[in-house]
Amino acid sequence: MRYWRYLVYAFAAIVVAVIPFYAGVYILNVTNLILFYITLALTWDMLLRSGQISFGTAGFCGVGGYTAAILFIHTGMNPLLSILLGGLFAGILALILGLIVLQLREMYFAIVTLALGGIFLVIVRNLSDLTGGPEGLALSSAIFGGDSTKTYWLVLALAIATVILSIVFQRTRIHFAVTSIRDDEIVARSSGINVFRYLVFLFVVTSFMQGLAGGVFTHMYGFVSPEGSFSMDFILLPMAMTLLGGMYTTWGPVIGAILLGVVAEYLKLQIPYGHLFVYGIIIIVAILFFPRGIVGAIGQRLKTGRE
Amino acid sequence: MIALKTEDLTRYFGGLAALNGVSIEIRENEILGIIGPNGAGKTTLINVIAGIYLPTRGRVLFGDQDITELPAHTRCRLGIGRTFQLVRPLSDLSLVENVMVGALFGQGIGKREAREKALEICAFMGIADVQRDVTRLTALEVKKMEIAHALATQPQILFLDEMMAGLNTDETMEVIGLVQKIHSNGITIVVIEHVMRVIRELTQRAIVLDWGEVIAEGPYEEVSSNPQVISAYLGEEA
Repeated sequence: MRYWRYLVYAFAAIVVAVIPFYAGVYILNVTNLILFYITLALTWDMLLRSGQISFGTAGFCGVGGYTAAILFIHTGMNPLLSILLGGLFAGILALILGLIVLQLREMYFAIVTLALGGIFLVIVRNLSDLTGGPEGLALSSAIFGGDSTKTYWLVLALAIATVILSIVFQRTRIHFAVTSIRDDEIVARSSGINVFRYLVFLFVVTSFMQGLAGGVFTHMYGFVSPEGSFSMDFILLPMAMTLLGGMYTTWGPVIGAILLGVVAEYLKLQIPYGHLFVYGIIIIVAILFFPRGIVGAIGQRLKTGRE
Repeated sequence: MIALKTEDLTRYFGGLAALNGVSIEIRENEILGIIGPNGAGKTTLINVIAGIYLPTRGRVLFGDQDITELPAHTRCRLGIGRTFQLVRPLSDLSLVENVMVGALFGQGIGKREAREKALEICAFMGIADVQRDVTRLTALEVKKMEIAHALATQPQILFLDEMMAGLNTDETMEVIGLVQKIHSNGITIVVIEHVMRVIRELTQRAIVLDWGEVIAEGPYEEVSSNPQVISAYLGEEA
């Protein structure tokens, strides 16, 4: 069994390494977008593992994107540095807001994160001098002069960093704390777990990664706009991807992002705007028939097979 | 020596006093029984002592330390362990992992060491086949696992909230034996119980709660023949 796993990893590594040499610009651009969504889906799941549903992914993604854009335009700094600072700003914002908002749980937390995203959007739209208002801001050029191959390595690095972070979280004591909080918060507290501190930590780390993703997205396309950078897609797609692929796992959101990313691209060509309808159906089918997604269903089968 | 005491402990839920001026002392190394009819405030008392609820009034002292305002996780690390009346296994973790959680965070030790501790405690509790899914355990196994989980936090005082509910006579005897074994390892134990027989078998001293107040205290024989206690359990004669 272990053997197979390493074969799969090796195969995936080879595919990832050769894509830029064989794929055309179009395929590469689609792949880049999928890699961006892997970061969003996986970080969304990392917070979900503690039982907290966040609608804040678009908010922190947009904040990271705008910060990177503004810093880059005004100082002309290295784009990579502006992306890093965008992530840091999103993380600091999450720390300040998390200390207040994480007094709430579950549905209440979810609604407040949704509202936060909305508030960021309104601020950005009205702070015209800094953010360009409703029109947004255009960067002098996309990162690496728009070279899709170089961009690929950047988004890939971000996705791999997120995967490594998720694996670390799953293999250390963090996993035990987070799972206990999700299963029964009172038991977690009675076992010596500082629930609030873990939730703030998770919120800050995932928001930082989402801010980085937002910065990368901004430099990938060379502009920011309120509707583009705080897109509803950044909330709904990561959720759909995670539910389809399998929540509470590292590979579930990754597989979900790849599958839905490819399907979405195909559907966009076949039935423009109809793809949202198909996402809806996929989410419903996944919840009804594979509550733990593809990875969860396979894991269950392997487990019962062994018994 | 007093291990823990409460002073004038009061907790309101809305207008209802679930606890009203409860002052009790738990002595080091004893097995104390807390009894009382349904709704007497037994579980609320544990929850206030363990830090799940804050009291409306009064203090909780652990040794010399005032812990009234401390959060639950800090109290656990100081040495207050507890189980729950309605069993609450962590369903996404295996049996041994449930116990590990107590050691990891209650003692603040690393994963490998926590696993060893957990296995040791499972062996001590007579729990076999520790990799199992906790949703498939019997009532007795879940209770043993919850005691093991609490033990893994290395408590000085262990509160057992109605451990015998849902167990048959043989199983009850087995748990009584385990509690005595834990006690002989130097852990102070507080047993919250409904079943009078358990209190008789296990405890040196019992406190009776009714309507959130202490109505009697003393050895089992004394308490069980107290007219006030009898009327609390059986109701006033009409």
